[in-house]
Amino acid sequence: MTFYLFDRSFYIASDVLLAYITVILSGAAIFYLITKADKWPTIKKYVTTTHHRKIGVLYLLSATLFFIRAGIEALIIRVQLAVPENDWWVFQGDKFNEAFTTHGTIMIFFVAMPLLIGLMNVAVPLQIGARDMAFPYMNAVSFWLFLAGAILVNMSFFMTASPNAGWTAYAPLSISTYTPEAGNDYYVFGLQVSGIGTILAAINMIVTIVRHRAPGMKLTRMPLFPWSTLITSFLILIAFPVLTIALYILMFDRMFGTQFFTGEAGSPIYWQHLFWIFGHPEVYIIILPAFGIFSDIISTFSKKRVFGYTSMVIAITIIGLLGFMVWVHHMFTVGLGPLVNTVFAITTMLIAVPTGIKIFNWLFTMRKGLIQLTTPMLFSLGFIPTFVVGGVTGVMLSVAAADMQYHDSYFVVAHFHYTMIGGTVLGAFAGIYYWFPKMFGIKLKETLGKWHFWLFVIGFHITFFPMHLAGLNGMPRRVYTYLPKDDVFIYNFVSTIGAFLMGLGTLAFIWNIYQSFKNPDYTGNDPWDGRTLEWAVPSPAPEHPFQPMPLVKTIDPLWEAKRNRGGKLPEAESARSAPIDVTSWQPIGLAGMMMVFSLAFIYHQTWLQIIAGIGVLSFFVIRNLTDEHVRVAREEENE
Amino acid sequence: MRKLYVILSSVLLILSGCNMRVLDPKSQTAKGQSFLIQFSFALMMIVFTTVIVLFIWFVWKYRQTEENKHRIPEDEKGNRFFEITWTVLPIILLAVLAVPTIKITYEISASSSATPPNAVHIDVTAQQFSWTFEYQNGVVQTSELVIPKDRPVVFHLNSDDVIHSFWVPKLGGKMDVIPGKERRLIVTPDEIGTYQGKCAEFCGKEHSLMRFETIVKTQEDYKQWIQKMKRKTE
Ligand code: HEM
Ligand SMILES: [Cu+2]
Ligand SMILES: [Cu+2]
Repeated sequence: MTFYLFDRSFYIASDVLLAYITVILSGAAIFYLITKADKWPTIKKYVTTTHHRKIGVLYLLSATLFFIRAGIEALIIRVQLAVPENDWWVFQGDKFNEAFTTHGTIMIFFVAMPLLIGLMNVAVPLQIGARDMAFPYMNAVSFWLFLAGAILVNMSFFMTASPNAGWTAYAPLSISTYTPEAGNDYYVFGLQVSGIGTILAAINMIVTIVRHRAPGMKLTRMPLFPWSTLITSFLILIAFPVLTIALYILMFDRMFGTQFFTGEAGSPIYWQHLFWIFGHPEVYIIILPAFGIFSDIISTFSKKRVFGYTSMVIAITIIGLLGFMVWVHHMFTVGLGPLVNTVFAITTMLIAVPTGIKIFNWLFTMRKGLIQLTTPMLFSLGFIPTFVVGGVTGVMLSVAAADMQYHDSYFVVAHFHYTMIGGTVLGAFAGIYYWFPKMFGIKLKETLGKWHFWLFVIGFHITFFPMHLAGLNGMPRRVYTYLPKDDVFIYNFVSTIGAFLMGLGTLAFIWNIYQSFKNPDYTGNDPWDGRTLEWAVPSPAPEHPFQPMPLVKTIDPLWEAKRNRGGKLPEAESARSAPIDVTSWQPIGLAGMMMVFSLAFIYHQTWLQIIAGIGVLSFFVIRNLTDEHVRVAREEENE
Repeated sequence: MRKLYVILSSVLLILSGCNMRVLDPKSQTAKGQSFLIQFSFALMMIVFTTVIVLFIWFVWKYRQTEENKHRIPEDEKGNRFFEITWTVLPIILLAVLAVPTIKITYEISASSSATPPNAVHIDVTAQQFSWTFEYQNGVVQTSELVIPKDRPVVFHLNSDDVIHSFWVPKLGGKMDVIPGKERRLIVTPDEIGTYQGKCAEFCGKEHSLMRFETIVKTQEDYKQWIQKMKRKTE
């Protein structure tokens, strides 16, 4: 769309224009509603908070917003692909490429990750009897850095420069020779900034779990969600720095004329190795926490302890270790030779063993139990068959020679959505329904929850099952069109219908949240007849949840207390030292400054780089001067 | 009318299930791969069926009802025997799968490293967004690849710009085309016909349009064709 102003013509694509209008209007509406309801103090509380539950809610809220954005992109992709040789709106060529690139990038980094990290923040400290995360201030910094990165990637669209090299950003396509626009710079800086936040979050989780468990809660008595959080955090700690390095090198190739991924000495294959050494563990980073959530939920709603606890823990650990030894299965067609290919084929197959152990343990947790079909349980039950389909296609993909046919076809698109939606997204929904009372003191509506579940899951299978067949019939992924003679029309058409059903399911979810706040069902401490410590504290969880501090003597301590002690947990003699909660504008300030810093690089403004760089560093100084530990230590001395 | 035909034929296709390009191989390489796909699928169906049967059985049998809702299930920590069973059986299953995987992966790549004596050599150049095929006698073709039946064809794959991937589903799996590094792919088509070829690695704006036709001719026809093309260029 071109329009004229002061004798100059401006060009803006109609989709971007529409997005501007929507965002400005809804922004104004939200501003008005907040002001009318007098909610600015609440907002301020959340913005300056360092409390784990509130930060968890912030993660979940932003993940939901980004899910809507990337979901709309998925629908756009599906509409353009609904019929052969489609010419819908502007979504051909680069516009389509941008759509699937930001869809994938946002879904992985700004939906799947924050959904899980958000739930960890809400639940893990309570499940292990901690007062808060080990480093509350750093926790806030993690969140705001994540959000700054997410906003960078999202704002690229409004600057008409979306990333367009796929979420994998393969060199040399992602090098400035082939994609000179700012889009892939946004990708580099967005992921870099949010990546720092993620690494800090992982460190925080590890220290919290290692240092702040309630007295008596040995590692062997810890619920499985904290366990999977612990393993996941180690994976993050090892995998994310590899991404940091890869992005750093890519930034040098794009901006400062180095040649790591091109030319005589460099090679584009280096990028693929670096990316997948990060990228494969990443897919376990987003599935393991979901496994943990399912373990806790299935056990609660079968009214039985989880079957084979020890083998569950061993299984997650082995999956975590093997996760670092399989990255070449994304590169079977690169031509690395039969030895490399078969070695990595075997290691990949091996991962199926611990995964299978977990599946059977879940099934046998339900056996002889008493299965209650609540919404969180429904999502967990929907997960099992769905994820098994993704698992078996995973084993099929690991067969190196056969993968040369599947690779980069719609078969792969089907496979990874079965694992990521069937695993991560269903797990996140299950977790949100399950812990919603701990976040807000109210339950989500069960009836609407069931609508949400059935629409989403049925829609899911209608969308993604046909993609296996389209792939086997030779449809490559990342294409914006196909021909009638390709014989993939019917699969794509059915798939598009399914995608809209999933959209309806998501609307039911959002409507459910709205309805649940409008007519709240207040719940007590323990709405689900839970087994673990988080159900012993009030809903929503208060700032100082464990007073007095419980003494943990078994796995499922609350369940045991309800059976044998009339619901009273044994008390510990001494409490653990608690992290200090503060309120501070510094975390959001630091993240904002990082964003300015990144923009200064993306648009090559040296003066702004210097100013923003000094700005960022000054936050370190400020933090040192205002450290609350110093203040608290002084107060204690004076007492 | 054409739309109707497309819809009808697609419905038939979904009903008939197979006829998928990948499962309709026209070369030894593609046959090996098609076998692996079907073999792994069959093995995986065993796993899938087991899980689904247990799943439906347990959820149905142990669901909460009005009668049993006050029952407290017995505590159960695990079961050594069961746990060992579902660790060992999958390992055996995967070992069964691993054997042909290794064998065929080696076969495919061995056949691509030795150069058969009677082979046809074709230089394939990928560039954004088209394919060029150069024959040994100097004939150059764009977007149309003509090859003989029953003779090994050695593709020398090179890229002028970014990474592409050379894929003719009916003739075999894809091979990435990487700038600055020649890759080789050898296939021996064993049936005449016209097959779709596509770029399978995302390579930029018009990646979707980076397609070519592969025409497999009898050796006679191929000879005539290449001589005719040669005369044209002179
Ligand atoms: C909600 C419904 C969803 C639909 C209908 C959908 C649809 C699609 C489609 C059609 C593609 C292929 C694009 C192409 O190759 O041209 C795609 C790619 C992708 N999707 Fe989704 N998707 C959905 C949700 C998700 C979720 C929840 C995740 C992750 C948690 C996800 C992650 C990805 C990734 C990583 C890619 C690859 C992007 C790339 O090729 O660079 N998607 N999606
Ligand atoms: Cu992988
Ligand atoms: Cu391409």
